[in-house]
Amino acid sequence: MRIAEQDRDDVLLRRAAKGDEEAFTLLYRRHQAAMYRFALRMTGNSWAAEEIVQDVFMTLMRDPKKYDATRGALGAFLYGVARNRVMKHMEHLPREIPLEEKNEDGTGSGIVLQDASTPAMWVEKRERKLQVRAAVLELPVEFREAVVLCELEEMSYEEAAQMAGCPIGTIRSRLHRGRALLMAKLEMLRSVPRRASVAR
Amino acid sequence: MKCEEFEAIGLDAERDASLSEVERGAAREHASTCSRCAALQDSWQAAGVELRAFAEDTAVAQAPARVEMRLRQEFRTQHVTLKVRRTAAIATWALAATALLVGVVSWHSWRRSRQEVAANHLNSVPAANNFPDNNSATRANHKNSAEVPDGMLERGSAGAGSSETLVADNELSGFTFLPGAFAADTDEAAILHVRMQRSALGALGLPVNEERAGEWIQVDLLVGDDGLPQAVRLPQ
Repeated sequence: MRIAEQDRDDVLLRRAAKGDEEAFTLLYRRHQAAMYRFALRMTGNSWAAEEIVQDVFMTLMRDPKKYDATRGALGAFLYGVARNRVMKHMEHLPREIPLEEKNEDGTGSGIVLQDASTPAMWVEKRERKLQVRAAVLELPVEFREAVVLCELEEMSYEEAAQMAGCPIGTIRSRLHRGRALLMAKLEMLRSVPRRASVAR
Repeated sequence: MKCEEFEAIGLDAERDASLSEVERGAAREHASTCSRCAALQDSWQAAGVELRAFAEDTAVAQAPARVEMRLRQEFRTQHVTLKVRRTAAIATWALAATALLVGVVSWHSWRRSRQEVAANHLNSVPAANNFPDNNSATRANHKNSAEVPDGMLERGSAGAGSSETLVADNELSGFTFLPGAFAADTDEAAILHVRMQRSALGALGLPVNEERAGEWIQVDLLVGDDGLPQAVRLPQ
């Protein structure tokens, strides 16, 4: 679908820079979900993801000239800013990642787990997803980034390389190593309940 | 394709657009012949399913509405502040320009009024006061200067007023030639309007009414090119 001239990102950004709040809101609504998902999948923390999204759009608001339309799409630029914020966030994090985080209302992790036919299945599925989430979050950050971009965001290698600012070969090798680690971790998590049930 | 190659590029060969069809074919062939790599691929596909399930759970995740609210608030604050600053800057410059303009106009009118006061003062003060001793050289060098007898006032001859008082005029009617002067000598003469005491007319050889000797009168002197008065006229 072709975006109308007046709704193009760069046009909206120019309008926003001149003080058009509607244009800024439109830009925000267009890109916030992708930024939030990326930040959430990378950090596993809804508070951190929220802060990162806010930071990304604050940067855009305060210094819209940082974005150069000739160098790529605004989405890619915002990903770049979000990525930097995620990396900064990671630097300040302890190495241990909790398996489950509580929301402010105490209802569980920031990631909403949906669907389930029976309570038992629901519990099992939920557990499995938490394990996957924990396994992803335990990956070293550069491998995690490759996995999030290529597997969760479903970007092509080329797009992921562009986002991460590295060659395709680097993305491929990071993904390869990330996958290996992830599989090992998932295998280990799968075998733990099995061993536990055998012991019983 | 070898196992190492397969691990590096073959696991996701179907999705990797940078691979050629030949490489994809080789990966497929290797997976069909190597049980270890086939198991690895199965394992990866199982992990992929789990990853996709995890991705689906977060697929609809969005930043909470409060983020948008905070950003919009910040946007308003920033742009209102910017507008206020801009308006303040423009107002400051406008005020400064107005003040400067008012200053210039005031100074100009003050200068003009001072000149007028000075001119009025000169009109009302005797010539002796307007020609201090140290100014005598200037007076002597003046183009149309005349040797004016004591008690005479050369109106406006000091400084700026001179152009107003020295009027070249060829109209010689009404002039009374002083003793020893001839009408033929007046070709290069200039008319000088002066204010003097009536008694000073005596110095020019004219009769003076003693009762009105102290009275200030306006006279026209016809001054020759030698700087000496040739004739005098008493305006009606």
